Amino acid sequence: MPLASTVAGFSVLPVSYTSSSSTHYIYARPHATSKKNATAISSSLPDGRTLFLVNVPPDATERELVLLFKAAGTVEKVVFDKDALVEPDDSDVSDEEEEEEEGTDDDEQPRKRRKLDKQRPPKVVPLPAAAIRRLRPTGRTAHVVFLDASSLTRALSPQNKPRLWPNSEEPFGLARYAALHAALRPPLDTVRTHADSAMELFEYELAQTKRASKYRKGEAIVDEDGFTLVTRGGAYGQTLGGGVAVASKQFQETGETSARNQNKNKSKNKKEKEGFYAFQKAEKQRNDLMELKKNWEADKAKVEKLKASRRFKPY
Amino acid sequence: MALNLKRKRDPDLHPRKTRKLSDDESDAGSQSDASDEHQDDEAWGGIASDQTPVAESANSGTKPKKPPTGEELRAINDAKDLFRSSTFKLQIDALLPNIRPKPGRIPPLDRFLQSLHGVLMGLSPVAPQHPLEAARKLLKKGVSVPYCLPQPTEDTNWKVAFETPSDITLVGSWANKISVKGKDGSKFGVDLAVEMPSHLFQEKDYLNARFFHKRAFYLASLAAGIQEAKNGLNVDVTYESASDDPRLTKLVLEPRKDDSLNDFTKLNARICIIPVLPTNSPIPIHRLSPSHANIRISGDADTSPAPTPLYNSALLTTLTPKTHLLSTFTLKEQTASFADALGLLRVWANQRGYGQGTRMCVRGFDSLGAWWSALLGFLVFGQEPSGTSSKRKPLGKGLSSYQLFRAALDFLAKHDFQEAVFHKSKEGHKFPPDQYQAHHQAVFVDASSTVNLLSGVPVGSLQSLQHDARKTLEKLDDAPTGSDPFTNVFLNEQRDLVTRFDTVIRVDMSSAKPRASSLHSTLDFGSPVNALISSMDNLLRQGLGNRTKAITFLHPSPSTRPLSQALPTNPNVLYIGLIHDSQHAFRLVDHGPAADETDTTIGQRFRDFWGDKAELRRFKDGRIIESVVWDIKSTDERAQVPAMIVRYILQRHFGLEDAAAVQTWQSGFDEVVRLPESVSRVYTSSGATVGFRGAMLAFDELARNLKALNKDLPLSVANVSPTSEYLRYTSVFNPVPLPPSLAPSLPQNARYIPAMEVVLQFEKSAKWPDELRAIQKIKLAFFERVANALMLAVPGLTASVVVGDGVTASDIQDTARLEVVTTDGWAFSVRIWHDREATLLDRLIAGNNVLPHVNKPAEKKKGQEYQEAVDAKEVYLRNFIHAPRHHRAIAMLNHRFAAYSSTVRLVKRWLASHWVLHGHVSEEAVEILCASFFVGDGRDLNVEPDQQGTERASVPGSKERGFASVVEFLKDWKWENGLFVPLYGAVVDGADPLTATSAGVWRISTEADREGRIWTTHGPDVMVAHRIRALAMATWAHLHGIEEEGRFDVKSIFIHPTQDYDFVIGMNPAVLPRYAQNIDSSLAASKYANLAREDSTWIPRAGFDPARLLYDDLKRVYADTFKIFCDPFGGNRFGAVWDPTLKQARPFRVLGGFSSMPVDKEKDKSKDKGLVILNEAGILGEIERMGSGIVSDITVRK
Repeated sequence: MPLASTVAGFSVLPVSYTSSSSTHYIYARPHATSKKNATAISSSLPDGRTLFLVNVPPDATERELVLLFKAAGTVEKVVFDKDALVEPDDSDVSDEEEEEEEGTDDDEQPRKRRKLDKQRPPKVVPLPAAAIRRLRPTGRTAHVVFLDASSLTRALSPQNKPRLWPNSEEPFGLARYAALHAALRPPLDTVRTHADSAMELFEYELAQTKRASKYRKGEAIVDEDGFTLVTRGGAYGQTLGGGVAVASKQFQETGETSARNQNKNKSKNKKEKEGFYAFQKAEKQRNDLMELKKNWEADKAKVEKLKASRRFKPY
Repeated sequence: MALNLKRKRDPDLHPRKTRKLSDDESDAGSQSDASDEHQDDEAWGGIASDQTPVAESANSGTKPKKPPTGEELRAINDAKDLFRSSTFKLQIDALLPNIRPKPGRIPPLDRFLQSLHGVLMGLSPVAPQHPLEAARKLLKKGVSVPYCLPQPTEDTNWKVAFETPSDITLVGSWANKISVKGKDGSKFGVDLAVEMPSHLFQEKDYLNARFFHKRAFYLASLAAGIQEAKNGLNVDVTYESASDDPRLTKLVLEPRKDDSLNDFTKLNARICIIPVLPTNSPIPIHRLSPSHANIRISGDADTSPAPTPLYNSALLTTLTPKTHLLSTFTLKEQTASFADALGLLRVWANQRGYGQGTRMCVRGFDSLGAWWSALLGFLVFGQEPSGTSSKRKPLGKGLSSYQLFRAALDFLAKHDFQEAVFHKSKEGHKFPPDQYQAHHQAVFVDASSTVNLLSGVPVGSLQSLQHDARKTLEKLDDAPTGSDPFTNVFLNEQRDLVTRFDTVIRVDMSSAKPRASSLHSTLDFGSPVNALISSMDNLLRQGLGNRTKAITFLHPSPSTRPLSQALPTNPNVLYIGLIHDSQHAFRLVDHGPAADETDTTIGQRFRDFWGDKAELRRFKDGRIIESVVWDIKSTDERAQVPAMIVRYILQRHFGLEDAAAVQTWQSGFDEVVRLPESVSRVYTSSGATVGFRGAMLAFDELARNLKALNKDLPLSVANVSPTSEYLRYTSVFNPVPLPPSLAPSLPQNARYIPAMEVVLQFEKSAKWPDELRAIQKIKLAFFERVANALMLAVPGLTASVVVGDGVTASDIQDTARLEVVTTDGWAFSVRIWHDREATLLDRLIAGNNVLPHVNKPAEKKKGQEYQEAVDAKEVYLRNFIHAPRHHRAIAMLNHRFAAYSSTVRLVKRWLASHWVLHGHVSEEAVEILCASFFVGDGRDLNVEPDQQGTERASVPGSKERGFASVVEFLKDWKWENGLFVPLYGAVVDGADPLTATSAGVWRISTEADREGRIWTTHGPDVMVAHRIRALAMATWAHLHGIEEEGRFDVKSIFIHPTQDYDFVIGMNPAVLPRYAQNIDSSLAASKYANLAREDSTWIPRAGFDPARLLYDDLKRVYADTFKIFCDPFGGNRFGAVWDPTLKQARPFRVLGGFSSMPVDKEKDKSKDKGLVILNEAGILGEIERMGSGIVSDITVRK
């Protein structure tokens, strides 16, 4: 292998596909948590036994990566494209079948803790998830979490021959498209149960937030120092939700509710002033003439420019 | 005799030229050169004298702070008031010097004319002799005499002779200094009228072309004299005949380059010697009125001979040059702007082929120079009252050049050329006015009231002139939104047949055998070909009737011929251009006289004209009428009816049966937007309702069914609006359903069911959740209800809910659809539009969705959520705001303009076959682009079609012309400037502009989309835009080929060259359900027909096209690695180009965004920076994997 075995601190893992002789290169490195988002993902990507992969094949599946590193050890989980993981507690119980793969249980955890004493939230019945290979943009990253820290070094050990890329059972190409076509059209009753349960969850959450919110219409919000929150509202100080409201500044000052009326007034006022004094008239006349000349000069310059580019030879 | 030269002009104004010509030859030496040139400058500068104060003001006005002086102000205001705008005036001023002869180059010509005068006056006379004998003598000198028909015979008893001219005068435009440069570098014509002595002629010479024979001999003798070497005139002498009429032959002298004092090659001029009759000639003028018959054919002495108007008019033209000179001179004196206006008018005309040039020239206009100045004269001086009409008032003499030009266009655009025009003349009418009407097709009698300047000009040419004038006026009148019209009016060449005429027909006349040829008309017209063209014109006009606005004949302008060739060679190839009147052009039945017509000759004539096409038919209203029915096989063929008629008439009346003799290209274009024969046969035999009508009916039924569901749904359906190109007549192919019963008989690769998009709107309700994710879920619930209810209501219909597109992971974006496949096999894809989404998305984008009244620091969170919201908003705007509106506007255009939808289809097909449609150029962008050629400035879009007077002249009347216009536009379009198309004809409240950044560079804006990005955000980008321009150029060059080489082969325009791609991915046609739509349809279907029967387990999948899915995937996955192109219509290859910046090794980055491989260590020993390079082989391997089952091979360019 004349190729470098490491590039910028990454070990190079050549992989070859069965179908062709071409070789794909994956770059691997032990995962190190950066300080910035340490809190967010440290739990899901433990240091020491997580392998960071760059340039994963675009059609790689979790199963295939597991199989690829089988020789090094057992893989606990595979996470594609770290971004998807940045806000794990933000994503509601997933609605798209793709996110279903990532496990509903993980997402349930924080919410359960939050509303410990409340009734359990309704669970969304997922749409049937078919095994569809997801195509990601090329050159993306993935994290492979091993069960055991020792697997990491084994996975990173240099090798002479390109590894054979394993194939999982998800279909490729034409078969994949056919399967995708079918999977996107689930039976109607599942759609119904899914939609109904999702709506139930939504209603539930709505109720939760309402209860949790400190803003209620018509109720004053008083903070711990005893200050009452006063906010500007619509025209009559009534249109908005919480706190004590006062009318908008514009309404207070002008008594006009919409901006349109005001514009009308403004233009009316202006018109009256125009040409009132003799000097205004003279000035205006002069300006008009200047403007005229300026346009004329501009036109002339334009034509001169065109002339310079020999535009005026008709043939 | 020399004094005569002086008499013709005002000595005070032009002292120089007269002096020089009248002086002795010795005087014309070099001593006065310097002063001559100086005078020249002044003289020529004088033409554009009105621009001098302006120029001065420009110099003085260096300090913009100072208000303009009174003089400047006047110049500025004049420019604004008398011209279209000040820019227009300045542009005209810049144009005019370019079309005039360069003053510094004139003196050599003057010296040459001087010596020519000497030579001509010194020619030795030839004694009278028999014409044939004289011709034989001259032939020995290499000069043949251009005797016209009827040729003199051995037993003629009159003689020809030559004597020195009685007078030589400079006439025509040169003498008046109003010459205008010709097109294609053709030379300024310096007309020299050489007066033949009157005693050479006799009174009866007007009979049987005797005068023309004498004239011909005189001309030949002049030629022989000039040619003689000892005269020292270093010129090429040739013959040229105006309109290829041998009677109007003149001598053309062109200088050879020898750098002598007389060498005027630099001036780019030529001298035309025209023999003229003296005013005191013995030939009686009254014998030459249009109704006189002056050709007596031996044998029919008993019957009264038919009048010979053209012959008479040709004879009369030899009398007029001097009177024209005088009248034009008066006009020039009285109207300051005449010369400039004439310049503008002639540039305008030359750009449109009404004048000489190397390309096709409109018949009759090749030597009509005198007419243009007579036209302006007519406008200024007014009309000689002729009894019937005297409405026209003369124009003022103080008009500006632009105003005069416009007035001329206005006259051309509005005048009915059936009506005679008489220029004001001093002596009143010479001949009775109605005689002209009776014997000429178009009448414009000159100032001397002797000659009809338009004699021999076919009416069709004038109609075409009229049409062009209308087009130009429209351009000038267009609202200021349009681009500067100056370029279009004066600077751009508009001679291309393909963009000018709706139907272009190439006729090879060499084998034409007119059914009714008459010797008399041949003699009257001067040559058999002229007679043939004239009768073609008559018959075609009769046959086409009101179907066309103009029938134009075009042929190369007459060329010079050597002196040894007596008669002009007539062009064999003729182009006929038709401009359709879209109201009538595509009528299928022509009515003739009724069967009970008392006058049997009328019916007889009708039958004679149409031959066996004429049939007696009984119509619904009980009338029994002779009629002609044009059979068409499909609605597309309807557009071919005018061409069919021309073909038929040429075949019947001129024996042009051969396919090569009459060529058009409609069928070639029709073919590319038609499904292959094998597929369409299945549909015709099944009797299913196909095509746009079928699709519309299916949609209407679906809409009705949906609205009937109201009791099953919590909200009632408010609106069902289509947004699919299949439902607005603009899809490339006629839409076809795919009922399960028909599927087995169709080849497998013709089983594509397009899903037609429909937007569903429910009544407004407050019950919708106020949260985006929940809205998407509610939509699913709605779909489920609708699907179940629909399936219950309509047996045989299948409906399924599509929960996403498999790509978009965003849960706030509208991805859910309802897919409906009707009983007949039409597929629809329904989306729900809920307008609250826009507000919610806006809040997300603005980032203040938490509590609007809490004063938060306005920090913009551009995280994932923001990006998702922006994308979702874009999709929302496009699908729900713009698409339905666009659909309505386009569907309306289709009803308004007959050729619009087929133009769009053709352009789409063209772009698709070059692999840019859909992937890079959206269908809607193409539709708007094409619409720009139809809507003009959008003023009359809101007028009801019935109330509308006339259609805009610039609207293409056939898809071929529309297509050519689009190609021409694309080849020059500077997309940075954008394109505004007033598609809606009125101001509509535009939706919010897109927030997303755009990769596309095209900007096509409408009233609803001022930014012009909505349909071009995703391309074409700079590279693709350049590619399209290059393609348009190549296509344009090919279209040009029909003019130059008579190539009517269209298919090659649609064949895409693939050698530019870095790699080409081939696909297995058997798995492509759209393969039957491939441009190369010969290999579709038939080859794989047997495969179809094998698979019985075919399931209908609406909108399922693996090639497109794979294309979209590859495009998305490798967005930054390569650009990929494909033909959405059954293309079986993808082409791709690597991003050139990835070709170099670059340092390794974690998020490099492309598949890389480490660079070879050996090569790069010195510095190990961890360079990586694009892993091309690896990527190709991945593509093969991802496309397994579809991709058959990948060819990499070496």
